[in-house]
Formats: sequence, C-alpha cells, structure tokens
Amino acid sequence: MSVKAMTNLITYRGGVGQLSFVLHRVTGLGILLFLVIHVVDTSTVFFFPSLYADAIAVYRSVPFMIGEIFLVFSIIYHGVNGARIAIFDLALVKNWGTKSQHNSAIWTLVIAIVLWLPAAFIMGRNVLEKLGI
Amino acid sequence: MMAWKWMRYSGLLLIPLAWGHVLIQDVLVGVDRIDLNYVSMRWAYLGWRIYDLFLLVFALAHGINGLRQVALDFVSKKKIRLVNQAAYVYWLVLVLFGIAALVGGVRKP
Repeated sequence: MSVKAMTNLITYRGGVGQLSFVLHRVTGLGILLFLVIHVVDTSTVFFFPSLYADAIAVYRSVPFMIGEIFLVFSIIYHGVNGARIAIFDLALVKNWGTKSQHNSAIWTLVIAIVLWLPAAFIMGRNVLEKLGI
Repeated sequence: MMAWKWMRYSGLLLIPLAWGHVLIQDVLVGVDRIDLNYVSMRWAYLGWRIYDLFLLVFALAHGINGLRQVALDFVSKKKIRLVNQAAYVYWLVLVLFGIAALVGGVRKP
C-alpha cells in the first residue's frame, strides 16, 4: 500500500477540524484509561492499605512521570477544546460557522500549549532531579 | 439530547474540578510527596472528601459516556442496547468502589 493510500484511509475530511476531533477523542480515552486505574489505586487506601505504597511506587518511576506530563497536556487540551465546543453549542450558536470553527480550533491548541508549558516545566524538572541531572 | 447536554454541562463543571485536582496533586505537591499519610491528612477535611466525591462521580460519568459514544460509532444497531448496559454497569461498579474508599477512609496497615 502506498503512503498516499494509507493516509487516505485514515483521513476523513482532514485539516484542523479532523485534527481537533481526533485529539479530543484520543485525549478523552487516554484520560479515562488513567482515571479508571487511578480510582482503583486510590481505593486500595481502604481495601488493601499495605498495597498503596506499591501503587505509588509505580507512579514515581521515570516512565510514569513522563507519562504524567502528557496526561496533564491531555487534561488541559480536552478541557479547553471541550469548553470551546460547549460555549459554541450553548451560547454562540449564531456564530457557528466553518471559519469560526477553524480559527477557534487553532486558538484552542495554542491556549492549551501555553497553559501546559509551565506545568510541563515544573514536572520535567522533577524528572531530571530524579535522574540526577 | 440528554447525553449531549450532559457532556457539555458536566464538562464545564469538570474544568475547575479536574484542573484544580491536577494542579494541586501533580504539579504543586508532586507524586514523590504522596503517600498514605498524605491521603489521610487530606481526607481529614470533609470538604476534600466531598470535592473528591464530585470528581469521582462526574469524571467517571463523563468519561464512560464518552467511551460509550465512541463505541457506538463502531458497533452495529443490534449491539446498541448491550453497549449502553455495559457502560452503565461499568460506571456503577467503579463509582461504588470509589465511594466505599471515600466513606471508609484510609486504614493504617
């Protein structure tokens, strides 16, 4: 299969709109996956308190701390994009148009990255500290 | 339409709830300082337990409804009922599990 045929296979309408749709779904499903694990691990404080330290030890490992930085991006992006969708659907229906959707989707990505960078900096510093760098 | 409205209103509520939780626990406190003592100290305040209860119920309901909607994009018409029931049971089991821990609190080993 050629590269073009493969990109055609996963492209619906392409562009910013599809990117924002895919990012919203992927970040949402990723957050849910973590949320379910997190509910179970936190429940051990009541059900199996001696296991809680083991669960936290996993989160303190470097791969999970790096994953945590991406988790925070997912939560920020999903929130900003969700707010964009909710505000357009509930309050700005009149302003809904391909142009406003295109521009606001780009702004959403910019705002999410700007909000994420300080958090990523603090959390990234903790990772480097753990590695002794 | 109910589910459509639900995602928008619960989503707006989850922005302060989830962002606040992540900002405090992941960014400001950090996973290296979280242990059983930290959880029992936090849950000593009823307010934080209620905050966590809201987060538990709303985030799981929002997330599992999202998963249900993604799943419905991929299954045939005959499976819709099954997906709906599975999503409901999944939500109920996890919420009851979480509530048991929230009410029971930290048990020191």
